[in-house]
Amino acid sequence: MLCNECGKNEANVHLTHIINGKKTESHLCEECAKKNQTILNSNFSMENLFSAMLNNSFNNKTYLPAKGCSNCGMTYESFRDTGKFGCSHCIDSFKGRLRPVIKSIQGYDRHTGKIPKRAGGDYKVQMDIERLKNDLKGAVEREEYELAAELRDKIYELENKKGDEQFEK
Amino acid sequence: MSNLKNNDIAITSRIRLARNLKNYKFPINMTNAESNCVIQEINNAVSKHYKDYKLTYMKELSDVKKNSLIENHIISPALANKSDEGAFLLSPDQKTSVMINEEDHIRIQTIEDGLSLKECWKICNEVDDVIEENVEYAFDRELGYITACPTNIGTGMRASVMLHLPALSITNQIDKLLYGVSQLGVAVRGVYGEGTKSIGHLYQISNQGTLGASEETLIDKINQIVMQIIDKEKNTREHLFKNNYDELEDDFYRAYGLLTNARKITVDEAMKLLSLIKLGSEMGITPMVKGKNIYQLMIWIQPNNISTIEAELSPKERNKKRAEIIRRELLR
Repeated sequence: MLCNECGKNEANVHLTHIINGKKTESHLCEECAKKNQTILNSNFSMENLFSAMLNNSFNNKTYLPAKGCSNCGMTYESFRDTGKFGCSHCIDSFKGRLRPVIKSIQGYDRHTGKIPKRAGGDYKVQMDIERLKNDLKGAVEREEYELAAELRDKIYELENKKGDEQFEK
Repeated sequence: MSNLKNNDIAITSRIRLARNLKNYKFPINMTNAESNCVIQEINNAVSKHYKDYKLTYMKELSDVKKNSLIENHIISPALANKSDEGAFLLSPDQKTSVMINEEDHIRIQTIEDGLSLKECWKICNEVDDVIEENVEYAFDRELGYITACPTNIGTGMRASVMLHLPALSITNQIDKLLYGVSQLGVAVRGVYGEGTKSIGHLYQISNQGTLGASEETLIDKINQIVMQIIDKEKNTREHLFKNNYDELEDDFYRAYGLLTNARKITVDEAMKLLSLIKLGSEMGITPMVKGKNIYQLMIWIQPNNISTIEAELSPKERNKKRAEIIRRELLR
């Protein structure tokens, strides 16, 4: 089959479009397909859908135009269009309004995974303590007193460590 | 039916971590000078510990070479588009790569054979720790690792497993099943990631959310779902073996006949037929295929991989070359 567009080369890219229930097919050669790549690349990726959601949530009338990110100058408008932050500080600049959107996308709004050693610092120790305290509560409820004693010692150790680090600072 | 291994169905596992440096704007906003600084900083951090990782700049590579790296899952399509700013570090075993200046400053990726997300996480986690010793990450106490796109925020982790599901596909159960798992917060994609169709009955299952659960919890969830899908695929194979042996045997031998005789073949047709003989071999119906790595062959016959073997080829020449490679590998 020859290409629908140039009629010269063998067609080896086959496209099916369904628009409003109407199906159209086109058969293109590689060169013509490249020209039409914008059509090929239109996908409903998570990022695209996300930026659509942002548009909806920021489009209400009470929204006041806010100043851009203090570090990179990215404005809400451009964030809304691309769904991407400009730098790591954007998150602080937009946080208040971002939170509900992040929650609706991710289902949660609080990180409970890995905490980096350097960037996390004291916070990592603090979170480790919280996790152990939680485990301790469970151990006591299940009347596993040996485990509870072990956990208590670990918590004590970490709390001392935290204190030392603060002292060094 | 012959002894089916889980690794025949779960072909590879992959973990990807997204990280950013605190003191640089994100790649979307960077100047060339800044992106070079980021490449140097990350290269220095990695090479302090991993002396044999090799750095490659995207600008050094031809389009065919870039696409071939995508077909081999070493880099992402998004990195290939970053011709000026992008680079990647690759481990000697080619299983771990650190992509630089893709959508985020850093994307650490490890691929292992079979269902092995935990092993992949262990490696990625180590590389992550090594990098963090020398750079300052962008991290928020409440929202976790900060990424350019809010869909990756939190753990920045995507855990995915590539599954070969021919029996579920040919019995038309796949759409229903995939719709079902998508309700569980799991994304299903074609082989080469987002926005690509499935070829050769290969599917990629990955976590949708990246925030609110620990890395281990996210991995456990994917593992559980994958194990269930593997069970369904196995059951369907057993059912087919008992009830449709004659039809299957005919299909498999026809596929083998075409693959070992065709003089030119498109990638779509080849993937479909290779998927069938892979299934036939695992079901013990086509013994002549036993011991051959059909999945590896599926990767080799992708358009750009064929072109990198020799000079750049036209689609017509590629189809001939592809048929030749398949005949050579199957009849060896």
